[in-house]
Amino acid sequence: MPFTAKSGKFSASINTLTVGTGDKAITLGGENVLPFYTFDAPIENAPKVGIEITDGGMAEEPECVQKYYEGCETVADMAKKAATFEGVDFLSLRLEGGDPNGENKPTEELIQIVKDVAAVVDLPLVICGCKNVEKDAELLSKAAEALDGKNAVMLAAKEENYKTVGAAAGLAYKQVVGAESADDINLAKQLNVLMTQLGVDAKAIVMNVGTAAAGYGFEYVVSTMDRIKAAALSQGDATLQMPIITPVASETWGVKEAVASEEDMPEWGPAEERGIDMEVETAVADLASGANAVILKHPESVATVSKLIKALV
Amino acid sequence: MGKFVVIGERLSTTAPTINKAYTERDPEPIIKRAKQQLDAGATYLDVNIGPAESDGEDLMKWAVQLLQGEFDNVPLALDTSNKKAIEAGISVYNRAKGKPIVNSADAAGRIEYLDLAAANDAICIALCNGEGIAKDNDERMMYCQTLLERGLEHGMEAEDIWFDPLFLVVKGMQDKQMQVLECIKMFADMGLNSTGGLSNNSNGMPKNIRPIMDSALVAMAMMQGLTSAIVNPNDLRLMETIKSCDVFKGNTLYADSYLEI
Repeated sequence: MPFTAKSGKFSASINTLTVGTGDKAITLGGENVLPFYTFDAPIENAPKVGIEITDGGMAEEPECVQKYYEGCETVADMAKKAATFEGVDFLSLRLEGGDPNGENKPTEELIQIVKDVAAVVDLPLVICGCKNVEKDAELLSKAAEALDGKNAVMLAAKEENYKTVGAAAGLAYKQVVGAESADDINLAKQLNVLMTQLGVDAKAIVMNVGTAAAGYGFEYVVSTMDRIKAAALSQGDATLQMPIITPVASETWGVKEAVASEEDMPEWGPAEERGIDMEVETAVADLASGANAVILKHPESVATVSKLIKALV
Repeated sequence: MGKFVVIGERLSTTAPTINKAYTERDPEPIIKRAKQQLDAGATYLDVNIGPAESDGEDLMKWAVQLLQGEFDNVPLALDTSNKKAIEAGISVYNRAKGKPIVNSADAAGRIEYLDLAAANDAICIALCNGEGIAKDNDERMMYCQTLLERGLEHGMEAEDIWFDPLFLVVKGMQDKQMQVLECIKMFADMGLNSTGGLSNNSNGMPKNIRPIMDSALVAMAMMQGLTSAIVNPNDLRLMETIKSCDVFKGNTLYADSYLEI
C-alpha cells in the first residue's frame, strides 16, 4: 500500500491577536498546527521576540547587557536603543521597582516612565508588573490608561486581581490583557473564563501560563503548554485558544548559571556566554512547546532566537 | 475524544406551543425555545416537524432558515418522516458550524434515509431497529452491521453514522436496560459514534424523578462510550452530569467554572 502522509492540522486554531499599532504592529497566533509544524499547514504568524528593560534602568541590568546601552541615561534612552537591536519585534517594560517589598516606587513615578518610553518608541509595548498583586492592579490599570490607543499588553492579570486589571485594560482602555497562571492548566482556563465573563473580549487576551529557567522545574512549563495547545487545537476548547507570551529574561537572569562570576566558577566558563545560553535555550524550549512570543534581555539572545524562528517558519 | 454532543429535543411537534408555531409559521415561540436550549449548552437543535405530509418541504426550509439566521448558523438535526422535507431543509442549510443530521434511518422501512444523508454529505442517525424492538443485542448488532454497510456503500464516513441503540422505557422494560448499555459499549468498541433519545427511559415517571433517572443513565451510558444524546438541555441536573462526565472522560479540561461554559 502506498504511504500517504496525513496532515496534522486541526480544525480549530489559536486566536489571532494584534499588538501595537501602525507599521510596527505584530500579530500573534492564528496557527492550526502544533508549534513549528509548518509541514502540516503554513504558520502565518511566526512567533515574536521581545526585549525587556526595567524601570531601574542601566543599574538593574546585568553587566554584560549594560555595554549595549552605553551612553543611555534614562529608561527612555534605553528603550530607544533597544528598538534598534536586531530581531526585536516588541518592547517589554518591567515595572519591578513598584514592589512594596522592594523599592516601592510610587505609581506616578512608574507611570511617567511608561509614558516617556511610549513617547520615544513605536514598537508594540508589553507592560509587566512588579509581581505584587495589589500593586500590579494599580500599576497595570494606570498603565492601561496612560497607553490609551497604543494596543499594548498588560502582563498580567492574576486570579487575585483580574477584576481590576481586566476592567481597566480590557474594558475601559481596550488594551490586550495578559492572563497569568503558574503551571496550572485548570487555573489558566478558569482565568480566561472569568475574564470573558467580566466582559473582556476573548480575542484580546494573551496568556502567560507559567515560566521558569531551563532546569528549574521547567518540565512543568512544557507539560502545561503542551496540554493547553492540545486542548485548544484537538478539543477545540475556545477558552484556551489565546496566544501564549512567555517572559524568559526575568527567570533566566536570576539563576546561578547566568549570574555567577567567572572568578567564582572558573570551570563554568565565561559568564556572559552562560547567561546568553540559558536565555536562548529556555526561550527555544518555550517556543517549541507553544509560546507565541518570548521576552528576552540580552541583545545577542534576541538576535539568535529571532534568526532561529526565521529559519524555521 | 471530543465533547459529548447534546442535541436539544425541545423543538418538537409533540409540544403543543411548538406545533402551533410550526403550523402558523410563528417565529417567536420557536426562537425562544431555541435560545433556551442553546444558552443551556445544546450543540445541535433537533427540528422535529412530525410527519408533515402536506407542507413539510416548505415548513422545514422555513424552520432551518429561521434558526440558522437567528443563531449564527446553529447546526441542526432534521427530524421528520417526510424525506422530501429533509432534502428541502438541507438545500437551504449552512454548514459553517457543522453538518446537518438526518434524523433518522432504521434497518427496516427507513434505511433509505442513509442514502439521503450520503448524497447530501450529512450525518445520519441510524436506529438499530427493524420491525419492532430488537429482542437482544445479537439482533441490534445485526442491524448495526446492515446500516453501517449501507452507509459505507454509499460513500459515507463511518464517523458520520451515529448509531442509536433505542433507549427503552424503564417502566415496562426494566430488564432490557443493561442490554442497551452493553450495546453502546459494542458500538464504542467498534469506534462508532452513538446517540439516542435517552430520556425515553423515564417516560411515564413523575416529573421530579425524570431528571434523576436521565442523569444516572447518561453517566452510565457515557461510561460505556455514548458520544451524543437527544435530550432536554434545560434539564439542569442532566447537563451538569454530562459536563462532569466530560471532565472525567478527559473530553474537556476542568476549570472551576466548567458548569457555566
